[in-house]
Order: sequence, then structure tokens, then C-alpha cells
Amino acid sequence: MRKSLTLLCFALLSSLVLLAQTRIIKGRVADEKGNPLPGASVQVRGTKTGTTTDAEGNFSIAVPTTAKSLLVSSLNYVNKEFAIGNGNTLAITLKANDASLEEVVVMGYSTVRKTNLTGSVAKVAGTEIENRPNLSFDQALAGKAAGVQVNTSSGLIGAPVNIRVRGASSISSGSQPLIVMDGVPLIQGDNGQLYNPTNALADINPNDIESVEILKDASAASIYGSRASGGVLMITTKKGKAGAPKISYNTYFGYSQPARMMNVLDGPQYTSVINSMRTNAGLTASAANGDYNGDGITDNTDWQDKVYRKGITHDHQIGISGGSERTTYYASLGFNDFENYIIVNRQKRAAARLNLTTKVTNWFEIGIKSQFTRTTLYGLGSGTGAALSGVPFGPLTAYPNVPVYDATGAYYIGNGGNTVAQNTPNPVAVQNLNYDTRDNRRFINSVYGEISLLKGLKLKSQYNTDMQIGFTDQYWDPAVGDGQGLAGVAQTVATDSRVWSWFNTLNYNTRFGDHELGALAGAEYTKSYATFNYIFGLGLNDPLIRIIAPANYGTTGAENGIDVNNGLASYFGGINYGYKGKYLASFNIRSDAYSGFGRTNRWGYFPSGSAAWKISQESFWKSRLITDLKLRASYGITGNSNIGNYPSLATFAPTQYANIASLNLNNPGNSNLRWEQTGQFDVGFDMVIGKGINVVIDYYRKKTKDLILDNPILATVGFPGNTITENIGSIEASGFEIALNVPVINKRDFKWNISFNGATNKTKVISTNAFGNDIFGGQSIVRPGYNMSAFYLIRWAGVNSANGMPTFLDVNGVAKQYDHSAPAANRWTRVSDGAVTTAITAADRVVLNDKTPYPKFFGGLSQSFSYKQIDLSFDMQYSLGAYTFNNTLQNLVLMTGTRNKSVEILKAWTKAGDQTDVPRLFFGENQSTLGSTRFLEKADFVRMRNIQIGYTLPKKLLEKAKIANLRVYAQVQNAFTITGYKGMDPESNANGNVNIGLGIDAFRPYLARTFTFGINLGL
Amino acid sequence: MKKNIFNSFILAGVLLASCQKEVTEITPPDRLSSDLAFSTAQKAETSVMGAYNALQSADYLSGRALVYIDLLGNDIYDRTNFFGDLPRFNLLSNAGFAGGLWNAGYISIATANRAIAGLAANPGVVTAAKAKELTAECLFIRAVSSFYLVNFFAHPYNFTAGATHLGIPIVTENFTSNDPAANKPRSTVAQVYTAIISDLTAALADLPAVYGTAASYASKTRATKAAAAALLARVHLYKGDYANAKSVSLNIINGQYGTFALNASPAGAFGPANYETAESIWSIPNSTTDNPNTNNALPQHYFPGGRGDLAISTNFRDIATNPYFAVDDRRRNLIISGTTSATASSFFTNKYPDIATRSDWAPILRYAEVLLTYAEASAQVATGIDVDAVAKLNLVRDRARVGAPQYTIASFATKTDLINAILGERRIELAFEGHRFWDIMRVKGTVTNKFDGDGVTVLPAQAFGANKSILPIPQAEVDKSAGILVQNTGY
Repeated sequence: MRKSLTLLCFALLSSLVLLAQTRIIKGRVADEKGNPLPGASVQVRGTKTGTTTDAEGNFSIAVPTTAKSLLVSSLNYVNKEFAIGNGNTLAITLKANDASLEEVVVMGYSTVRKTNLTGSVAKVAGTEIENRPNLSFDQALAGKAAGVQVNTSSGLIGAPVNIRVRGASSISSGSQPLIVMDGVPLIQGDNGQLYNPTNALADINPNDIESVEILKDASAASIYGSRASGGVLMITTKKGKAGAPKISYNTYFGYSQPARMMNVLDGPQYTSVINSMRTNAGLTASAANGDYNGDGITDNTDWQDKVYRKGITHDHQIGISGGSERTTYYASLGFNDFENYIIVNRQKRAAARLNLTTKVTNWFEIGIKSQFTRTTLYGLGSGTGAALSGVPFGPLTAYPNVPVYDATGAYYIGNGGNTVAQNTPNPVAVQNLNYDTRDNRRFINSVYGEISLLKGLKLKSQYNTDMQIGFTDQYWDPAVGDGQGLAGVAQTVATDSRVWSWFNTLNYNTRFGDHELGALAGAEYTKSYATFNYIFGLGLNDPLIRIIAPANYGTTGAENGIDVNNGLASYFGGINYGYKGKYLASFNIRSDAYSGFGRTNRWGYFPSGSAAWKISQESFWKSRLITDLKLRASYGITGNSNIGNYPSLATFAPTQYANIASLNLNNPGNSNLRWEQTGQFDVGFDMVIGKGINVVIDYYRKKTKDLILDNPILATVGFPGNTITENIGSIEASGFEIALNVPVINKRDFKWNISFNGATNKTKVISTNAFGNDIFGGQSIVRPGYNMSAFYLIRWAGVNSANGMPTFLDVNGVAKQYDHSAPAANRWTRVSDGAVTTAITAADRVVLNDKTPYPKFFGGLSQSFSYKQIDLSFDMQYSLGAYTFNNTLQNLVLMTGTRNKSVEILKAWTKAGDQTDVPRLFFGENQSTLGSTRFLEKADFVRMRNIQIGYTLPKKLLEKAKIANLRVYAQVQNAFTITGYKGMDPESNANGNVNIGLGIDAFRPYLARTFTFGINLGL
Repeated sequence: MKKNIFNSFILAGVLLASCQKEVTEITPPDRLSSDLAFSTAQKAETSVMGAYNALQSADYLSGRALVYIDLLGNDIYDRTNFFGDLPRFNLLSNAGFAGGLWNAGYISIATANRAIAGLAANPGVVTAAKAKELTAECLFIRAVSSFYLVNFFAHPYNFTAGATHLGIPIVTENFTSNDPAANKPRSTVAQVYTAIISDLTAALADLPAVYGTAASYASKTRATKAAAAALLARVHLYKGDYANAKSVSLNIINGQYGTFALNASPAGAFGPANYETAESIWSIPNSTTDNPNTNNALPQHYFPGGRGDLAISTNFRDIATNPYFAVDDRRRNLIISGTTSATASSFFTNKYPDIATRSDWAPILRYAEVLLTYAEASAQVATGIDVDAVAKLNLVRDRARVGAPQYTIASFATKTDLINAILGERRIELAFEGHRFWDIMRVKGTVTNKFDGDGVTVLPAQAFGANKSILPIPQAEVDKSAGILVQNTGY
């Protein structure tokens, strides 16, 4: 305090001097190419006197005659001091910062200049996220950072987005990274309550994001200790800059359609295929074409055409930012409306944000960052995906030889001319009559105060909240589908989720001589809680009145419960040290206590250390080719607290034996349960070649031990779900990562930039439980010594071209064929000699070690061009070496029922010599559709995620209208995907956010392809 | 000043420590620590009720298990193909139907064992007499599950002489951790039956006759002496031990365990408000708030106003293939036809009509069964045509055929004729209550005239002891056992 008084005195004094003797100096500030730099700060050295440049880069300042020099600064330019000579005009040129060197990286509770970084961190700029028709910002990260795999599991709105940083880090626990926005740990995952998934991250307005930093290695992530095994995503939202208010308006509008289609049989094809199946099996024909709506035309319905549409999408974003020397602000309003290509599927998001910081005094700063969002998701009323009333199950399997509407215009609910029933309800009817709507309100807020105690020492206290209140309103109409048998159903779920955290940090930074030292100490407490209230009504009295009241329903009921209830206490500290800017080292440690562990094993310690050597700054470094080179190495331990609320506690939960209250074991518990630990070693280098070619290469090796595993146990043990949570087993992963940025052409009028990243990952299972037992998920296996989640399937050996029978290899490699027309005991024969043999069974499954749902090499390639006022960009994502089990196709070639089938079945064997993969049509034959490698397909793909072409109007034209910038553009999202995969999408994933059992394509809706036209306007 | 700084550090320390406590010391408000599960009389009893709740699993005795037994038989067909290859005896070893049964069965056995151990470990929480009674309930539950499991997953008792063929693992101990001792091989069917009979005999001795009154909710849904005896009679019958089946069922008929009687109407024990009549001995209850939901509830499968998956085949309706089902039989009133275009041409049972709340109870032990078990056992042990058997058969038959003349000894030419009439009556009386397939198999019958989902296509006959006439041991369990659990032949 005393010090600031002194400063004040100086200021007063100097202004007195100023009054006495001044002269006016005029000048112009420009960049190296002569373009004016508006808003640059010009200050008289050693005084408070200063000004900023106007739109033309001109300034005028009164300087005391005693003044020696001017300090000129502008964002993204190197600050420069200019001596004041005798002249009264100055032409000042500022050099652009090398952005890659001056860039600041957010690392947990502090920031580090990128050049001083010792860990592995990838950064995705907000410009790569905003103004794109993504349903949530996480989708935009696909292909953007080396080693970060982002999988959008389907085109359904709200479908889970799986993010894997350097592969899976666990088997049973979550591998999703921790996501922290401005210090607030975000609620993520699926918020869906009834039949539709809801991605919690859809509540974040992508246009508010300034940058996303992905902390990949242990040294970067371990400051988040027990939550960092899956990596950490640090989101920084936009903030204001001192200067006149800037107003921006961004908008786009356009439409969506399915990005690809699987084809099923049309009416006549269906009738013919089903009847061939029946007659081949010696059964009566069961399908017949006919006219069931009385329009005189034989019914032939393409259900996909009826259920899909061109969905309209539009987006409006208003941003205002600005501020003074002391106070800066950023405020935004956003509205996004996305109609999916599936009828009724839609998401609307309205978001408001205010970020405000102010320096109350020279030593005290406070700030607030808050957003409020309302997201409404109109889901599919009675299930998604593979549910009977779901999409795409319905449109792919409904009878194609019946109409949508009957003669009276009502939905057609019948079997037409088909005598063998199937139970797919009218897909248009169930979508239009039923609904499942979720209305989410989210408030994310952080407030902080920061005090400068001494020079370089800052005390910061920040309180964070993430609150989410949601309401799901669901209805099944009594006329059709699931509601039919129940005379109509209405259900509502109200949810309330909240996370608070409070952290206090002491940050100290100092320099003495050639030494640079930073230190951090802190404490953080986090508590998460989520609860729900569920109400249902069965049997509507009046279908027009849907409010759930006992008078209006045959039965009503209610239930409430707790979904999340846990807390984390944490203490952490770190030291960074640099010598001569060449030798850098850092050490961090965090200790976490998690409420879900027993008292004795509650605390976990997560240390990390790293070092870097900027070899190019050594005097012996003479290379002109490689102008900058930094070697890095790190090792650290991280944990995983994504393990449920009370994993170690043996608990009973209240249950019901109808009207009698009962109590059942809920979790067998395990008081010895302790932290799962991932040790990760990383070595890499950052390099600049010639003029601005940036190269980052990393190699990592990580090993997770003491896995908190849902150990699959025998049913005879008698625990719920046949599992017990134990610390058993370990997995090991390694991989290379490369990121390249090449400014191929960098002329004033023509620029071409290429960004490329690629990564390999190989994750192996070292051990599971004491017996080395296998763990299963989907069609995959976890077996010691094999790759993580390798597919575990019976080997398909094709169709015997001589007789049309499906053939398989048994576990010993003997080819066996199946004839459903033979007596039960003689159906399986050896292909070699036709001798009757034992059946192919689950015991004939083999581990397909090199076939896993995880890609072997994946990444992205982005290119941007600009020519004068025109800009063009391509964003590509690729993934090689993964496999996907095409369960959709498996279901669409079933011969045991009369649901509609894939056109693949038209290739069925009909006569000796036919070379095909589809066996002879035979109703009831159920062995060719066993889970076998017949349906395992390569999921390699290259996806053009975004193509954008824009035109920026020339400045001269805009100046008259006082417009700072105006750009019009058109873009295509998910423009095309090059793949040999035959199912819905090579990235389809039916099992959500798991580590094993990924790569199952089970009726996941296609991705949407979106065309939009947009305007970016700045004032 | 120094003191102020010192004090503020103390204050900060206290604040941080209280925060740490708040976030790490969390007691779940929705769970009970397992040490407390048997700590009071009320908790001990509700923990025993948990074993019934395990039986009531949607995959198990609240409906599905009964459905499977009838689906494997020939009186219904899977109209909507809901059950896939189950009725075609063509399941794969990883079939979810089999996995659901196996898991629910063993969870209920474990829950019963856990309660037995919990009661023993907490003496004095309830009176010794009450502890005995509660333990007997657990023994009954263990026997129920063992009986259903052994019949689903192993061939009938008389498949081999002395029932030396593979049964199921017998579990009688309580496991609190992943104990390798739980990896048990399959005992023989004879051993399993011995264990069941021993559990039921012990339960019969200690169980109460009623809970409160004879017609109380608990008396019909919790184990009573009559329930234990009725199941014991069935177990003896399945075993082919007719002498014991006769004596045990006679005790029930004689009122030794309470008074039971047939209702006036054959429909009198079904549908809302009819679950607690004198005809019912033991049922698995369902309620509006606790039932197997839209996919598993009995009315959802059986009732045409529900999904109506399961339709009654002509094999049951035609007198040619169901010779004791006369046209005037009042039980034909329990057959209804559908009302929608999709169901109008099919026939359904009206035994489970509560589609509105899906809370139809699953009838497990009914007095009519006891009478028919007695009749069959008595007819079997008699040398000639047994009068008493005819009398008990008449009790059941007369109710349904009020106009027809009663059976007399003269109605039957041979003892076999009488037994056939009893089995025929049993098929009609206990139809769709989870008896049919096992009633065919236990007398070494063949399933013939069984229809596929279209109700027209005849499926191949399934002979006694055929490979896939029993369900596969879930492949996941076989895999986990590392060779200890042997899979059934053919899977």
C-alpha cells in the first residue's frame, strides 16, 4: 500500500512537470509490410503519459521535453522502444511476434509461455471450433490434435462423443478426459434420462471458446492428479481487450441430410426374398404385395425416405467486447437451432455469457466468468437406434410392402399381405405420435480474486459452480408401438446436478540473473451431487390431457434418487526452473482424497517431473535449417477417479417385493480398494524448420496398474451384476505422435497453410485378475498378452459355392458347413468330406489380436488457402487400422424372421458355382448370422469434415458503412467419407463411453451432412 | 499485526480442514452399509424379503421363467417372434434368455444364503424362534431356485438311472468376496434333488402356517408350511417318487397346513383382486410400482391388449390334439381373441389380464396342482384304478364341466387311461402357468404338433432327452469357470 502511494506521488509530480514543458509528437505505427496498426499503445517511457493509435495507425502525443523515448506496443507484435530525436514526426514499424513462441499455454492453475513448455500439450484455437454446425464443441476437436481421438458415435442429436487422449487408460473405469473450463470442472457425459442420450457438453456455446488446450503427458496433466489419466481438456473462454467496444454478429443457416444411406429391399424385392426363403424351407409363402390404402397402387414404401428430411439449421451469435486499462469485458448471446435429418429430432440452444475482470487496485484484481444456457433437445419418442420403435431400426426393418397411411388417412397399423408377423411399428407413426423432450438449463460460473502480495507473489482464490437443471417430458401415444399395450404412457424426469469447487493458489515467479523460477502451491475442494425426480402415468383417460395427475391416468407413480454424490479434497504444488532460457525443468505433485474410498486408502499421491533443453540456443548450434529445437522428456503418475460414488463401500439398498419392503445387497464393496495409477513416460521435441515450419514429435509409453476393475465373477458367487470392484490387472500403451504446420506459401495476396497430425497407439493387456480371466464387452475380449479389446469371434469361411451353405472354421481351423434342412443331429458337416460333425459354437471363437476397435493410425489434415479476399479451407480427419462389427448388417440379413432386409441379401447363393458371401435363402436358418467375422469390417476412413469458402469484402468498401469487417461464406460439414465400410458409419459405436466393446455398429443413426451459408460481421 | 497474521493462518487452516471433511466424509443417504443389514429386527426381516425380491426378478419367477416352460411346450406359439429361437430349441450358448435365468437363479440363492449367514452372525437381534422361521424362509427360497434351475439346465430326473447325469452347482455357503470356492462343478441331478428335498423338509418344519391370517398378503406371497409342502410334492412327482408325492400332497389336502379350496370358477384365481383366494398357495406378487415392466410382464406377453406375443395354438384348442378339453369346458372362457387387425385372428389366454398396471401375480403353487399331483401320484402307486385319484381328479374337472357327468372308476379301462386323464387335466388346468414342457418331459414324452411363430408351420418334434431340450449353461459362466462348469451337449 505504501508503495502505491509513492507511485501516485510520482504521477502527480510528473503531470505537474508535464504542464510546464511539452511538445507534440505525431507519428504512424505500421507492421513490416506497411499496414497501419490501429489500437497500438504509445507511451512515454518513465511516465504515465500515453495514447493509442487511430484506425490509420496515426497518433499524436504531448511529451515532456525531458522524455527520451516512446514505448510502443500492440498485441501480437514485439514491443519496441523508439528514441525521440529532434523531429516531431515518427514512422514506427513493429515486428510481428512469432506467435508460436509467444503463445501462452494454460496449464491447470497457471500459464506457461509455449516456448518454456516442458510437457506435451496440444492447442486447438477457437477459430477452428466456432461458426460450424456442430452440436457440441467436442465434435469439432476430431482430427485437430495428435493423439486425441474424438469419436462421434452417431448422427443422433445428443449421441455420446468419446474422447480418448492416447488411447484407453483403463478397462472398467472411465477414460474420458477431465474437462475444465476457466477453472470449473465441467459436468460431462450423458445427461439422457429416458430414451435419448443428451451430451452435457452441448450446453457450451462453441463461439465463446477462445482455445482448448489438451494436456496429454503426465507432466502437464498430473497437476489434476487423480482425474488426469484420460488427459485434461482446458477450455479458455473469450475475454475483452482494452479499447473501443467491438461488436460482432455471426450467423449461418442451411440444412442437414443423412451423410450416407444403407439400402434395404423395396416392396417387390422384399416379397420375393421372403417368399424364396419360405419356399426353400418347405414353408408356405408368407409375403404378398397389395394395396392397403385403397389408392389403386400396390404399396411400396421407402421408410427411410418417409422418416428422413432436409432439416433446417440456423445460428446467430452476437458478441460485444472491450474495456479500459482496468476493466475488460466480453459478453455474448447465441442462438442455435439444429433440425436433424430425422423427423422430430432437433436441438435448440440459447446461451448468454459475461466475462468481466477488473483491477480494483494495483494489487487486487477480481473477475467473473459466467454463462447461462438453455438447451432443448427433441428426441425420438420411443427409443433410438436398435429399439423396435427406434431410428434407424424402424425404417430399415418395417415391411416395405405396406403403406404409411390407410384409406382414412390414419397411420396404417397392420401387416398388409404378410402372414408371418413382425413387430416393428409404423416408423412414421411412432416418431410423430411419441416424444421425448429434454429441457436443460445450465449455469456455469467462476468468480475469483487475486492479490499481489509481494513482487511476483500472487494469491488467488476462485470459487466455481456448474449447475444444471433438466426436465424430460416423454409420451407414448396409446395408438401405436410401446404405448399401445399400456393405453398410453407419460413420464417426466426432473434432474438437478451441481458441482462446486473452490481453489486457493499461491503463485510465485521471479528472475535472478540467469535463473527463472516459478512456484505454485494450492488447495482445492470439489463436490459433485446429482439427484432426480421421476414421475410416470400409465393408461391415459384423455390423450389430449397429458399432465400426470392421478385423475387422468389409470396408474401414477413417482420415485426419486441420487445419481452422483462424491467429493475430492486436493493439495498440490509445483516448481518450474529455467536457466538461461535453455535448460528447463519442472516438478509437480498433487495429492487427492476421494470420498468413495475407504478411510485408509483414501489418499493418492500423483507426482511428475519433466525437463527440456533448448538445444538451438546453445552457442554451438549453427544450423540454419533448424532454427529452433527443444528436446523434452517427462515422467509422472496420474489417477482415475471416474469410478462411481461408493466403489469400496459394501451397501444394501431398499428394494420392493411388490407390496413388501425388502433390502438387497447393492454393492459387495471392497474396503481394500485403492487408486488406479497410470505411469506415463514421454519424450519429444519441438522444432522450427526454416521459416515457420513447426514440427512436434512425441513418443509415449504408459502403464496403468492396480486397475479398478469390475472383475467378472461367477454367478455362483452371487453378487449383483456378477462383478466385484477390485484393484487387479494392468495395461500398457505406447505410441508416436506428430504434428506439423507448414506455411507452404505466405505471400501478401496468396497464402497456403497445411496442418497435419497423426498418431499411433497400441494398447496391450498385461494382466487381469489372479486367474487371468477374460473380460468381455460387445464382441471384444480383454485377455492378458493380447491387444486391448481385440475382437473375439467365430471365423467365417464364406459360402460353399457348391451348395450354398454357410461355412465356418472351428477353433482348430477345420471348416464346417451348416444345412438347416437336415435333421437336427446332422446339420453340421465337415466341408472336406461331408461327414457329420459337432456344431460351431461359442467355443470356436478366437482372439483376433490385430483387429480392435481402436485405430492404429489416426489424425487430421487441415489446409487453408487465401487469395486476396477469398479464403478456402478443408478439414480432413482420417483413421486407419480399426475394425467395426457390423451388427446392423447382421440383423438385416437374418433369415429367422420377416423384418425387412439389406439389399446384400439379393446376392444370396442360388445355384452351384455362385461365388457369394450370402448363403442360400432358407427361412429359419440362424447359423450364418452368428456373431462371426462375416460381419467384422475394416473401418478405415478419410472424412472431409468441413469445406469452407469465404469472401471478405474489401476494407475500403466497408469503411463508409463503418463496418470493421464483413465476410460471407458457405460450408459443408461432413462433406464426404471415403471408406470401404458397408454399415451406418465406420465410427459407429453402440456401447457409449466404454473401453471394451467399442466398435459395434448396431443401428446407429447416420451422421448428418450439413450445408450452410453464413455471414461474419464485425463493427 | 503479527498476531493478526498468525490468527488468519489459523482461521484459514480451520476453514480448509472443514472443507476437506465436507468433501471426503460422505455417507450415502440412499444406501445402507452392509454391516447394518441385520442389525435390527426390522432390517433382518427386510433383508430376508430381499431373497423373495430376487426371485421376483423380471428374468425369472415374476413371469419369464413360466413363459419359457410354456414356450418350450406345444400349447402356445411365439406370434411376434419375440423369443427368437427359444421355442425352436435352437438357442446359442450365449443366449440372453438362459443367462438371465441362470443369473437370477443364483442371485436369489446367494441372497438366501446371505440372509441365513446374516441371521446366524447377529444372534439376539430377533428371537430364536423368529430366526428359525426366517431361516426356513431362506431355505424355501433356495429350494425354489434350485428346482427351477435344475429343470431348465439339466435333463429330467429319469434321464439316467439314478439321475447320475449333470445337474447344477449346489451353493449353500455365503460368499463375501470373490472366493475361488464359489467355482463349483455341477453336481448330479440326484444330488441336487436331495439338496432340494432336504431344504424343503427343514423349511416345512420351521415355517409358519400363516402370517397373520390365512388370506393375508404375506400368507400368499411368503413361504408357508403349505408352500413348502406343495413344492415338495411337485419335487417328488418330478423325481418319480410317487409314494412321497402322494403323502406330502395328502397332508395339504387334509388341511394339515391350513385350509385351501378351489374357487367356484376356474377363472377365480386370476386377475386383479383374485390373487389372495383360498385356491392360491404361493405366488410371486407384482404391483403397480414393482413389476417386470413393458418387456417382461406376463400380460404384456400373453394379453392381446398388451403386445400379445404368445398366442394359444390349435394344438391346445382342438379336441383332436387336446382330447380332455371338451367343448363345454368352462376353462374355454379363459381363451379370448384379439381385437386389433394384427391380433384378431389369434387366440390368447385371459389368465393375465392386468395390462393397465402389469401387476398380474405369477401363480407358482396353486391348490389345483396339489389335487392333480395327489391324483397322479396316487394313481401311480395304486395297483388298479385308484378311487381316490378319480375323486381328486373330479374335484378339478367338475368345476370346469358343470354339466358333464363325473368320472367314475368305470370311466377308465386301465390305470394308464386314468393317468392319461390326469395328465390331460393337468395340461388344461395349469395351462400357461409354467408347467407344460416339464410335464411332458418328466414322463418321457415328446413335444409334437408344436407351431412356429406363424401359428401354422409345424416345428420338428422334440424328443425326451434331446440335446437342446435343456438350456445352455451361459457361455460367459463356462468361460469364467476355466473348465469347471461343463457345457450341455449340443451347445
